[in-house]
Amino acid sequence: MASVVRSVLKAIGEKGIGTFIRELKEEGFVRCLSDGNLLQTKIHNIGATLVGIDKFGNKYYEKLDGMQYGRHRWVEYAEKGRYNASQVPAEWHGWLHYITDHTGKELLAQKPKRYGLDHKENFSGEGDEYIYHSKGHTLNPGQRDWTRYQPWQPTKS
Amino acid sequence: MGLGLLASRTLRTTTILSKSPRIFASQDPSNALRSIVSTPELQNPEAAAAAQPNPTPDLPPRTPVAGARVHLPNPDDAIEVFVDGYPVKIPKGMTVLQACEVAGVDIPRFCYHSRLSIAGNCRMCLVEVEKSPKPVASCAMPALPGMKIKTDTPVAKKAREGVMEFLLMNHPLDCPICDQGGECDLQDQSMAFGSDRGRFTEMKRSVVDKNLGPLVKTVMTRCIQCTRCVRFATEVAGVQDLGMLGRGSGEEIGTYVEKLMTSELSGNVIDICPVGALTSKPFAFKARNWELKGTESIDVTDAVGSNIRIDSRGPEVMRILPRLNEDINEEWISDKTRFCYDGLKRQRLNDPMIRGPDGRFKTVSWRDALAVVAEIAHQVKPEEIVGIAGQLSDAESMMALKDFLNKMGSNNVWCEGNDMHPCADLRSGYLLNSSIGGLEKADVFLLVGTQPRVEAAMVNARIRKTVRATHAKVGYIGPATDFNYDHQHLGTGPQTLLEIAEGRHPFCSALLNAKNPAIIVGAGLFERKDKDAIFYAVETIAKLGKVVRSDWNGLNVLLRNAAQAAALDLGLVPESGKNIESAKFLYLMGADDVNLDKLPDDAFVVYQGHHGDRSVYRANVIFPASAFSEKEGTYENTEGCTQQTLPAVPTVGDARDDWKIIRALSEVAGMQLPYDTPGAIRSRIKTVAPNLLHMDERDPATFSASLKPDFCQKMSLTAFGTTVENFYMTDPITRASKIMAQCSALLLKK
Repeated sequence: MASVVRSVLKAIGEKGIGTFIRELKEEGFVRCLSDGNLLQTKIHNIGATLVGIDKFGNKYYEKLDGMQYGRHRWVEYAEKGRYNASQVPAEWHGWLHYITDHTGKELLAQKPKRYGLDHKENFSGEGDEYIYHSKGHTLNPGQRDWTRYQPWQPTKS
Repeated sequence: MGLGLLASRTLRTTTILSKSPRIFASQDPSNALRSIVSTPELQNPEAAAAAQPNPTPDLPPRTPVAGARVHLPNPDDAIEVFVDGYPVKIPKGMTVLQACEVAGVDIPRFCYHSRLSIAGNCRMCLVEVEKSPKPVASCAMPALPGMKIKTDTPVAKKAREGVMEFLLMNHPLDCPICDQGGECDLQDQSMAFGSDRGRFTEMKRSVVDKNLGPLVKTVMTRCIQCTRCVRFATEVAGVQDLGMLGRGSGEEIGTYVEKLMTSELSGNVIDICPVGALTSKPFAFKARNWELKGTESIDVTDAVGSNIRIDSRGPEVMRILPRLNEDINEEWISDKTRFCYDGLKRQRLNDPMIRGPDGRFKTVSWRDALAVVAEIAHQVKPEEIVGIAGQLSDAESMMALKDFLNKMGSNNVWCEGNDMHPCADLRSGYLLNSSIGGLEKADVFLLVGTQPRVEAAMVNARIRKTVRATHAKVGYIGPATDFNYDHQHLGTGPQTLLEIAEGRHPFCSALLNAKNPAIIVGAGLFERKDKDAIFYAVETIAKLGKVVRSDWNGLNVLLRNAAQAAALDLGLVPESGKNIESAKFLYLMGADDVNLDKLPDDAFVVYQGHHGDRSVYRANVIFPASAFSEKEGTYENTEGCTQQTLPAVPTVGDARDDWKIIRALSEVAGMQLPYDTPGAIRSRIKTVAPNLLHMDERDPATFSASLKPDFCQKMSLTAFGTTVENFYMTDPITRASKIMAQCSALLLKK
């Protein structure tokens, strides 16, 4: 505990109090006070190895000793507020779910350049623009026109 | 496990088969080859025929095919033949095929068409006739007394199967992409009479497609050389455009030189083509015939009232086809009727609009639009209210319009084409009294100021049929124009008419010697100032030539618009000649061909109609109405036959039926018309013109024109004009149509 306090004081001394508080916020240390899930991840992180960081900034941790098998890999999402499992990109999915021991970085090296869409998180419930609308739906921006006649347009006078 | 087991089993069976050649040896060696005939008894037709027991003579009577009827004018001329052992009495001269139809046996055919001459070149109609060494082509073979015709024997079946195989040899296998698919005679008959396999392994013949114009699409590789189109063009349409080129497998249908088909009936070759060689160009790849809903309706683009079937899919009219009506259009329709349908989808009025103070139209609700019109209608003097019904108006809406204006205190209401106050008192004065079908009995025609080819193509086809069949003489007075039959151009104006009336003209002798002379006066003459004098001269000719007798009324008026006859029946005639000049409130019910130049600038114009065509630009208020394909309306054609349109598709936008709009307006204006339903409005019509309720019946005029008082008026000597300038564009629907615009650009002679 003393060492933690010491390193905190050291960091404040190096960065200044303002930057320190900002970083504390960004890393989710403030939010974890209200979010128990995040707090538990943060507690887990102590003593774990950081295996990699993906392009979205999600951090992948592993701790082999003292952990139950099957619970030894986890992710700390870059997004501290509305995080969800679909934010994990495909290349890290396999590692995180024990499908493979190759990390996302290794798998990304093998990814063909010519195809493969970029990973996009699932935006369901994030607003109308992200929801699927059928072709005749009013909210579909490319709504099909089912009118089968051309109305007369009063052009001039 | 399964794979290995299966493999071993197949191996075993093959070894067994190869070890036992007796299976093959036991059969006829010819059968071991690939055989075209699927039914084994057809392998040896003679033996199978001999094995069959003789058919029993007392068969249950069969219903004739497609309502085929025999008319035996002279019982002595009747002969008896036996079709599959069933005796039928038919008149002399009928073909074997017709005899079979009367007996209720449908013979497959491609080249035979009951309205065309007999070609006998497809050979599909082969039947077996007893004591005939070969199967005979039934369409070309006259039936002889006592002939024993067998249509269901192995010989006949084998003959059909063989013919079908030859026809399919050079027919492409493109039914899935063919527009005829689903209504193709070849497809149907190959299912019914063809073999289940083909032996043809060589390359198929291909033929260059011909350009027949904007209406008919050709895929000549599909052609089976039935020559129906060639015969139709020369015999019915009267144009020598199509012909047969080459011999044998190089035989092609085509125009001799690259040429478009310039006939007003050219669309009918689409219907008579038994395969997909000639299909509709505007309809190409648009729909399949089994997706379409057919609505039996009538055509309103001219005064003939051709019977049509409107094929629609959802809210769209996809195509228009003719319906059989022997008295009016037989089974043909004009190109304008057939291809005007795309006009129903363009330039449609779909919302009530009011012209604002800035001169721009603003979409408003029905309530507001009706309120504005009702208010203005009360502000003007009753005699300044004028109503004009358009040429596509139905009887119900014209009745409502007249009743409404009468309640407002005005009687200035008429229909387009009748604006010069024609005499509507005697129906014989404005009807085609000898009826369209009756024109076939005429032997001399005198056409006065009418060009039937463009004014009423179906009437012209009937005249042509008569001229072709009986070599009837045709005399024509009017501006030089195209005819597709022999005619004498007697003169261009009233001068010639007077000469004939006074008996000075050489055509008089033909008229006097004729048994059933027919005079056809064009309704375009209604618009002349001296029309009474012209009609008087025509009546003099009629008296001279004994045109009107108790058994024959040959004094005809050929009307131009679908609404004209019903309007005259309902008494929609203007009170005086100068109504538009003094109008302050003008109600146009689809009237687009009215000359509004003389209308005062401060006049308030209400346009009620379905197309933004001409008059809409002068309108102050626009009421959107439904077109003929969207409403139930009564129309009377030029011969006095009352017919009805039926709604095929829903109305567009906020449009309403014509009579409903006027009924609503009358209520808003505080002079409610006493009918709320089509039935109620028809009972009102019954009190005015009861003949408009006798659907699909021709009510001939009761009194002849001789009751008319003699009238003398100075006849001006200006020549008769052309009534219809452009055959393809005569009304708001056809003027909005793209196909019709293409036709008039490509097909009309410049």
